[in-house]
Amino acid sequence: MNSAIGRLYPSSKFCFVLLAIIVSIFTPGHWLQYAMFPFFLFLSFCSGTGMKFFKAFISSIAMIVVVIFLVQVFIVRYPDSQPIWGFIYLSQNGLEKSLGITSKIVASASAIMWYFQVTTPKDMVYAMERANWPKKATFVVMSTIQMVPQVMNQAKTIMDAQKSRGIETEGGVWIRLKTFVPMLGPLIFSLIQQTEEHALALQSRAFLSSAKKTSLYRLDKHAIDWGIQVLCLILFIAFLVWRIF
Amino acid sequence: MVAISLEHVTYRYPLGTGDALDDISFHIGQGEVYALIGGNGSGKTTVCNIIRGFIPQFYKGTLTGSVMVNDKPVSEYDDAELTQIVGYSFQNPFTQMSGVKDNVREEIGYALENLGLPREDIGRRVDAMIELLDLQEMADQNPLELSGGQRQRVAIAAVLVTDPQIVILDEPTSQLDPQSTEDIFNIIKLLKNQGKTIVLVEHKIDLVAEYCDYALLLEEGRVAMGGPIRDVLTDPKVMDHGGQLPQVARFFIDRNTKLGLCDPIPLTVQEAVEFKTGRGN
Repeated sequence: MNSAIGRLYPSSKFCFVLLAIIVSIFTPGHWLQYAMFPFFLFLSFCSGTGMKFFKAFISSIAMIVVVIFLVQVFIVRYPDSQPIWGFIYLSQNGLEKSLGITSKIVASASAIMWYFQVTTPKDMVYAMERANWPKKATFVVMSTIQMVPQVMNQAKTIMDAQKSRGIETEGGVWIRLKTFVPMLGPLIFSLIQQTEEHALALQSRAFLSSAKKTSLYRLDKHAIDWGIQVLCLILFIAFLVWRIF
Repeated sequence: MVAISLEHVTYRYPLGTGDALDDISFHIGQGEVYALIGGNGSGKTTVCNIIRGFIPQFYKGTLTGSVMVNDKPVSEYDDAELTQIVGYSFQNPFTQMSGVKDNVREEIGYALENLGLPREDIGRRVDAMIELLDLQEMADQNPLELSGGQRQRVAIAAVLVTDPQIVILDEPTSQLDPQSTEDIFNIIKLLKNQGKTIVLVEHKIDLVAEYCDYALLLEEGRVAMGGPIRDVLTDPKVMDHGGQLPQVARFFIDRNTKLGLCDPIPLTVQEAVEFKTGRGN
């Protein structure tokens, strides 16, 4: 966060991420999209969050991508599917489709993941407030940011409680699923309750006040921020021209 | 002057099958420390939510009766105005942080930022609050990295920084260790000395006996008992309504029943010591 990239104004980074996602979704083929991963990995190393980005990507997005790839290529049946064994088929169409889906996921997830790792919640909310976003939208962002560590802590507490009662929580996928599914109810209810209390706590601190907000924290837009935003706009227009004409 | 007044208040939560509060009436004078006591589900938090206007603004449902703060119906205040009159601190120290401030100083100033005060005023008032509640050591720390007790102190500071005349503390010590509990009650003592009106929901009855002026015992949404703290917490009937007596009072009530030796019944350890010293035994 203390790198030159981390110190950029949140909306500059957001414009860049938005451009990357739009270009990835509307460009034909797969290689540009897959190339977004090494590109954002490189940017993450420049931002000082390289290893964090890599670990987060491998433990979450890579797993999803592999599952989608396997299901599309070997399980879902297409007109050109060739039987291999039992319910397993191989399909060229499935391969094409899986590359199409997974490449877009890789590109969008890389961009979003990078953004959240190089932008603090404080900067994000500050920029939203300064841009006069509706307070409810700001609250959603604030609550979501707070909810992620809360979900993890709460899930860990429930898991520990299950373990202390002698319930098996570690082992294969089936054992983990058997433990995880019954946990979802109490987890979701306690999160709703906490979010409700968080909303009231903010309301008791004048969150909904109609006064023009002041801020002890200052984050200014510099020339480079304007430069990035203008560059993103030019690239976006150029992309539109390329795709339409 | 009456700070808070509830007259014949009845409330039912949306989808509720019964009334959460049933014909509640009481008054709290300015500068009084008022304890709301009673078992779980007796309606203590609901009363607090009504005083702060969260009911019916946030929680809908059916509310009847009159709720006045400083002789004006709560429904006639706008939210920013109410924030500056009634401060509300919640039970769970982990949900009270804004989540978007990375140091305690800014966390405390959050309400003032929302109210649009000039930066210089915010800085001055935040510094004063940090000094008052002795938070200097954690002023530059991330609020999300503090312990439960520290967070609760920061949460109370964040509420008090708007200088409300009325402070509602809903079970502020329920998740805290003994040292943090003592810290919170020291803050209550400080607020009492400043003449603030305090509504305290608390289960630690020995501390309630020591710090509060009046008590209201709720049972299943109704007022079971109410009055000066000594009258309520030395009356064995408290136990019949799901309440508790302080340990000291229980000991002396038991002793009185057998020997009939002391009147009034000591309520706190300090009073017990004075009673013993006064008797010379």
